[in-house]
Amino acid sequence: MAIYRRGYQRYDGPRTSHAERLAVLARDAWRRATAQRLVAVLLAVSCIWPLLCLLFIYVANHAELWGGLDRNFASILAVDHQFILTFMKVQAVFSVILAALAGPGLVSPDLANQGLPLYFSRPVTRADYVAARTAALAGLLSLVTWVPGLVLFAVQASMAQPGWLAANWRLGAGLVAGFLLWILLVALAAVASSAWVRWRLIAGALVLGYFFVLSGIGAVVNAIFRVEWGDLINPLRASYGVWCALLGAPMPSGLTLPMSLGALALMGVLLALVVERRLRPVEVVS
Amino acid sequence: MPQPVVEIEDLHVVLGRREILHGISCRLGVSGAGRAIGLLGPNGAGKSTLIRTLLGFHRPSRGMARVLGFDCHRQRRQVLERIGYMPETDSFVASMTGVEFLRVMGALSGLPGEIALEKAHETLFHVGLGEARYRTLGTYSLGMRQMARLAQAIVHGPELVILDEPTNGLDPSARRRMLDLIRQMKGEHGMSVIVCSHLLADVEQVCDEVVILKDGAVVHHADLEAERRANRRFVELEVEGDDSRLGEALEQRGAACVRESAGLWRIVLPADFDLRELWALAARQGLSVRRLTQRRDTLEEIFMKAMGLLRQTPGEAAAGEEVQVRGDL
Repeated sequence: MAIYRRGYQRYDGPRTSHAERLAVLARDAWRRATAQRLVAVLLAVSCIWPLLCLLFIYVANHAELWGGLDRNFASILAVDHQFILTFMKVQAVFSVILAALAGPGLVSPDLANQGLPLYFSRPVTRADYVAARTAALAGLLSLVTWVPGLVLFAVQASMAQPGWLAANWRLGAGLVAGFLLWILLVALAAVASSAWVRWRLIAGALVLGYFFVLSGIGAVVNAIFRVEWGDLINPLRASYGVWCALLGAPMPSGLTLPMSLGALALMGVLLALVVERRLRPVEVVS
Repeated sequence: MPQPVVEIEDLHVVLGRREILHGISCRLGVSGAGRAIGLLGPNGAGKSTLIRTLLGFHRPSRGMARVLGFDCHRQRRQVLERIGYMPETDSFVASMTGVEFLRVMGALSGLPGEIALEKAHETLFHVGLGEARYRTLGTYSLGMRQMARLAQAIVHGPELVILDEPTNGLDPSARRRMLDLIRQMKGEHGMSVIVCSHLLADVEQVCDEVVILKDGAVVHHADLEAERRANRRFVELEVEGDDSRLGEALEQRGAACVRESAGLWRIVLPADFDLRELWALAARQGLSVRRLTQRRDTLEEIFMKAMGLLRQTPGEAAAGEEVQVRGDL
């Protein structure tokens, strides 16, 4: 029977599990994040650097291509922690821009027209809502961070001499772990910005500001006070410290692993606090 | 004993540093009976706070609130699986189409994927948005958005629907449609409905029970259906002609009556008395009936009394007179 003739009937069949409901929230967030054309364009652009890195790996593993050149050239073409760190730094910038574009669309539309009570009057908690939105964004950011990174690592492992993988497994593990930590911070910053302001454009600007303006402020603090702890308010720099430790690279001057981890943990707590304060079904005026 | 839809015991809710609800206790509705409960009160009485506490948005500082047998705070998920909520504020997600919006809301309430989509279409047709279901909510008019909010509250077939100011801002025809839908929800689909509204006429039309709140406390709880039944026996009759034998005839039929003035009677009818008999009796005595009214307290009068603006309702006054009449007889 045509649906418009059937009339409304109450549903009393079996209900889905809690996990399936979370998946609904995450799918909705994914649909929103990928609906923008600019996001698709940026995803395509962010593939350029991994492709160049892939070319680099190919060249580095084919000595016949550069055999006639200077001997020192071999050391430049090594696929080591420096190569991975350079790859991570570039892709981290792309991930911030992607989060600034896609992130605000996840929460702001719900806040803009007071849609949150509609979600929270269903069997969905605030933690579920934030986790699903963050997971969707983290999934999107994965496409420009650890996924291509892992592909590069796998390609290098397959092209390199036997034994390279056993000697350098830490590079792959460090890359994935470092990027996962980074993605969590970026996604949390995007959700927090989106929860803080209802306008997508401003929320996006806040994400960019959080990462790039704070970097500038950190540098200014270092320069004015002739100190190095200014790096701790710079999320890019603090993350870089952790990546170095994970990849077994020398730590940047003025940073230690506990300091970097502490700074990132503090940033995470502050961002989570913003989310907790702003994402409520109803606002209570004291 | 039938399970109440809402059971509240000594409920205190503090928001900020202010106590909004001061120890409310009441039992509302009967689970599965398809009754509508009106929640009334002036601004700041605590209606919205009570609703939000039932939804688990606010934590009670003392006491407990149960919905359909589940504790609103400790068993929040079970409660929310069984209820639908239509907020007072204009809540929607502008970028979603009507179908998309309802599908997501239905799926979040536990409808399996395909059924959620089917129910989304079905519900949108039911509330009169069938033709607009592929338009984004941002392009809907205020009345359409109101209907979309009602649709999302019932898409998953809840046992209890909480409607916060459902007719606010609607034009007369949309208002009538909304009230019809509420009647259908309780009458045809057996849902319990809580209607929170300032519009007493709307509540009176659709509700079987009302709770009146004032300053965070329950000041009146009335079963309108029972009152309607009880008051159906009290009538005012105005006739033209020689009515000297009317009183005697009515008493023979078991009615108690008093002649207020020439042609004006107040009558308390026995339970088995059909009003058509009154017309027949008047006809037999050659009387023309000018007016026959069943007097009962309006919700407005009940509300005014609960607010302390009336000493007693006309119904209470009439009940006093009835006792007086029976005493005279």
